[in-house]
Amino acid sequence: MPTSTIKNQAKSDHIDSVVSLSEKKTSSSKSELDCQCPVVKAENFSFYYGSKAGVKDISMEFYPCSVTAIIGPSGCGKSTFLRSINRINDLIPNTSVKGNLFVNGHNVYDKNTNLVNLRQQVGMVFQKPNPFPKSIFDNIAYGPKLQGVKSRSKLQQIVEESLKAAALWKEVKDDLKKSALALSGGQQQRLCIARALATKPNTLLMDEPCSALDPIATGKIEDLIGRLQSDYTIVIVTHSMQQAARISRRTAFFCLGELIEYGSTVDIFRNPGKKQTEDYVTGRFG
Amino acid sequence: MENTITNREAEPVAESNDLSLVLTPLEDLRGFLFHHLGRLLLFLITSSSVIAVFLIFFFVIREAMPFIKEHDLIKFLTSKQWYPEADTPKFGALSMIVGSAYVTVASLIFAVPVGILAAVFLSDIVSFRIREIVKPVIEILAAIPSVAYGFFAVLVLAPWLQNKFGFTTGTNALNASIILSIMALPTIISVAEDSISTVGRELREASYGLGATRFETIFKVVLPTAHSGIIAAVILGMMRAIGETMVVWMASGNAAQIPAPWWNLSQSVRTMTASIAGEMGETVKGSDHYYSLFATGVLLLILIFTLNLISEYFLVSAKKKLGKI
Amino acid sequence: MKYNTRHIINKIFTVVTAASVVLMIVILISVLGPMIWRGSSAVFFKSTVEFRKMQLDLHHRGDEAEIGDEISKSEIYRDFIYHKIDVFKKGINTDYYTDRVKQIYRKFSKELQYNGIKGDQLSRRRKFARGIRRDMEKAFKSLDKAEILQIIDDVNKCKGDERIANTKADEFFVLADEYKETIKNFDLSKRQQYAQALKEVEGLVRQLLGPRSDEPLPAMVMDRYGATRVDLAKELLDKIIWKRQWVQQNPDKPMVEEKVRRATQFAGTELESIFPYIEENFDTITIPRFTFYWQYFFDDSTSGHYFGGVGPEILGTLILTVLAMAFVFPLGVISAAYLVECASDNMAVRIIRMSINTLAGVPSIVFGLFGLAFFVLVFIPFFGGPSKPCILAASLTLAVLTLPVMIRASEEAIRSVPKTYKEASLGLGAGRFRTFVKVTFPAALPGILTGVILSLSRVAGETAPILFTGACAFGSVPKSLFSQTRTLSYGSYDIAVGDKIGMLVPHNQYGMVVTLVLLIICLNAIAIFFRAKIFRRLKGH
Repeated sequence: MPTSTIKNQAKSDHIDSVVSLSEKKTSSSKSELDCQCPVVKAENFSFYYGSKAGVKDISMEFYPCSVTAIIGPSGCGKSTFLRSINRINDLIPNTSVKGNLFVNGHNVYDKNTNLVNLRQQVGMVFQKPNPFPKSIFDNIAYGPKLQGVKSRSKLQQIVEESLKAAALWKEVKDDLKKSALALSGGQQQRLCIARALATKPNTLLMDEPCSALDPIATGKIEDLIGRLQSDYTIVIVTHSMQQAARISRRTAFFCLGELIEYGSTVDIFRNPGKKQTEDYVTGRFG
Repeated sequence: MENTITNREAEPVAESNDLSLVLTPLEDLRGFLFHHLGRLLLFLITSSSVIAVFLIFFFVIREAMPFIKEHDLIKFLTSKQWYPEADTPKFGALSMIVGSAYVTVASLIFAVPVGILAAVFLSDIVSFRIREIVKPVIEILAAIPSVAYGFFAVLVLAPWLQNKFGFTTGTNALNASIILSIMALPTIISVAEDSISTVGRELREASYGLGATRFETIFKVVLPTAHSGIIAAVILGMMRAIGETMVVWMASGNAAQIPAPWWNLSQSVRTMTASIAGEMGETVKGSDHYYSLFATGVLLLILIFTLNLISEYFLVSAKKKLGKI
Repeated sequence: MKYNTRHIINKIFTVVTAASVVLMIVILISVLGPMIWRGSSAVFFKSTVEFRKMQLDLHHRGDEAEIGDEISKSEIYRDFIYHKIDVFKKGINTDYYTDRVKQIYRKFSKELQYNGIKGDQLSRRRKFARGIRRDMEKAFKSLDKAEILQIIDDVNKCKGDERIANTKADEFFVLADEYKETIKNFDLSKRQQYAQALKEVEGLVRQLLGPRSDEPLPAMVMDRYGATRVDLAKELLDKIIWKRQWVQQNPDKPMVEEKVRRATQFAGTELESIFPYIEENFDTITIPRFTFYWQYFFDDSTSGHYFGGVGPEILGTLILTVLAMAFVFPLGVISAAYLVECASDNMAVRIIRMSINTLAGVPSIVFGLFGLAFFVLVFIPFFGGPSKPCILAASLTLAVLTLPVMIRASEEAIRSVPKTYKEASLGLGAGRFRTFVKVTFPAALPGILTGVILSLSRVAGETAPILFTGACAFGSVPKSLFSQTRTLSYGSYDIAVGDKIGMLVPHNQYGMVVTLVLLIICLNAIAIFFRAKIFRRLKGH
């Protein structure tokens, strides 16, 4: 997708025009939508904070090499669900789960899950850019080093590849030794994406990756996501419906911890099957 | 949990790297051991403070035991006669207990109002910049070692007091109290300021919004709300004053007597801490005198422990109260 | 009206709170100011030639030729003073003359025997000489000037008598004239008084100039040199010039201290002239020179810190501090890590927290008791060490003392590391241990260093816990962990109240305590520097 289109789209706030564009984009691949095997699959999945349910009874699948957006009003559990996929929610004390959640066919909430491998395969990009207070190089090399890559040249290569993949290489190639915290917000977020890519995941979870960024940086990230989708399964949680419409092939609508509707982005925005969804996407709610 | 993996789902998707999500038994075992043994080890290291407290109580009490067994505790606490090295030694620690209480209370009379006012000044009145200047002053006051304060008391303050007010001796209860109050100030200020600034803006704004002056806001709203924290600050300052050794040893004159009349600060007194510090060097290990000093130590420990519990209670209740608001 | 009162109260309140802070600053300045001012004079001061002589003798510092030159220059002036004193002394202490006269008589009789004079002749001549001797001895003892002059006149009449002519006995008359000269300006009735006063002057001059070069070297180093510093020398000069005495001016009033010129005390005597002489030539005698005695921080001291520096004290303090930190740092950080990362709110953790608070409140002297009862008497002997106070016991005691400070600061630091760092690391597949070591700990390091600062200054300044566990006032530089050590903190105590010699050298008293305070501030500064550096790195500069 050419950058200019993205920028034009970023300016547009009219849903219909956005949807029509995304329709063009997705219609060609519509035939392959249902024939692929899901990478992530939830079966009656519920997540509880103490006794309060964060998400309830979710059943859905995410397909490879495509972008799936999760939208919904604040506090609807979309982030909770996303963060359950690579079990980063384990950090929060006093939580429990019900149901199953499969990644590559393995139930991640099984006792014998190799968390390290899971998190390497399911990369995550967080709401706020969160580079480590280390140099750019060390940030990217962090994951590969954990995997046991020791040779300097190999690390160099990985860092370069990841930064190129995250479209950051040109901007930072001369300052790899500089602290990552010296970068701008948008660069930091792309660095975080590069860092996630460096562990060679097959799935990327993005938790509102653009919410802390300005429109131009957002455009760049969206551009990047568009390019990455050919290689990765991307799940993105977003507040912005325009963004969901612009970049995703499928969209899920969450409300109050429940999955209301899930389908191709075009369907969700054009002919929502449920009243709640329609209210939300047309802006009458939330 | 059921582990249903159908063939369809088990197929790997991405080409990038195929790490198994299932732990091998060895990895599982290693992880288990690492997790639990590591945790246990960390827990053991962490409980070193518990062990330390236990050891302190155990060993100090153990050395005090011979004294406690052989002597009348009531007499120890109520008799004024402290002649540990006499032919018929007498161990009455009352004058030392009174001495400790004496200098502590006297120092707090000065330190508490000044400390609280300074805390109010720092949290409510002054701009951020000046606060940044004053904070280091407090930090330096807290960092100056007690022996330096004691030095100041003996060589600077004592001659000054003696010449200025014509006291018979410059090392007296007044001298010790002045220095102790300086030393208790940083503790009182920092704890009190903490609790005063945790009183939310909302409360202050509500009060100002009703037309109260700053004085009224602070005295009628802020300080009452923060009172638990302030009480805790006072108690912590008190603990600092009671437990202080070098200053009282050097500045109080070390006469085991109860001042008469009671308000006469210009007389020398002796505190529990000072008598331990001063006499332990001269005792023979295993003598009654030696054990009696440990008994004094036990007394101090109990006192401090009790005060600590009280301050903890107030700090927790301060937290709870402010947490709810 | 009502509004006005409220307004005024408000204003007063603001002023009072500000005053309390100002008071605090004033306290800080008035505590530290004079101490640092006077303490700095231990390092920056005007030294006298005596100081340079001492430095040369004890440490081989300075240019030998140059100092020798200085010494010989000042020696000229000193000799004059010594000479005057000696002359005056003769007037008071006539033993000198008595000895001389006996000596002359002995020489005389030997001469006679040598010349072969025997029998009657010999005894007759000797008798005559003996008579002169007796007369002169009487004159030396007498306090009546007229009588003395009379005797001397009588003696002089014997001059030229054939019994003693051209013999050694002629020296009698020389001596008689010398004595006559000595007592010419001398009020003999004051001899007792003079003897007292001279003793005082001699003592003061000795303190100022040191022992005479022909005296045997005193055993104590502090007696070997005169005033080494100009400020001390000036004080002595003042004492030499002025005599202080208590006078009762009015029967109702208490006695008043009065300054009298000492010269008036010796008015009309030989000694009178040395007082203005010393005053005038003070600079040439002492040869003041501004000195930066940086070796103060490295030199050992003579007994009572009379001369020398605080080297062993600094070393001992550093050893104790570093050892204690080595013990407490891992314990503190691991405990804090556990409390933040692993601990849930259960009974065990609550007990741990309570213990930490208790530990923080235990009086330092009780730590001393504990160190004595546990480390000295049980712990170290258990591992085969000697059961006596030593560095190891002291540093272990200090480590326990500072454990809560370390834990609290580290805990706060680790807790304040943004959760996002941890999430990012875990999200990349790092384990919790790895996340802590690689991400959380480095990010928390500035805060942990703050904890180290606080602990350092606590450990370096504590005195009470090491009183019975390893500190001593005297002793050589420690050779092993099982020997005692001098520390700045204990030294400050000892020099202020423990040791009387310390009172004579206030600059060394203040020097010690200021060194302690400055050391703590320095340690703080170093840690703050590191903290700032790491902070900058975190900020990305």
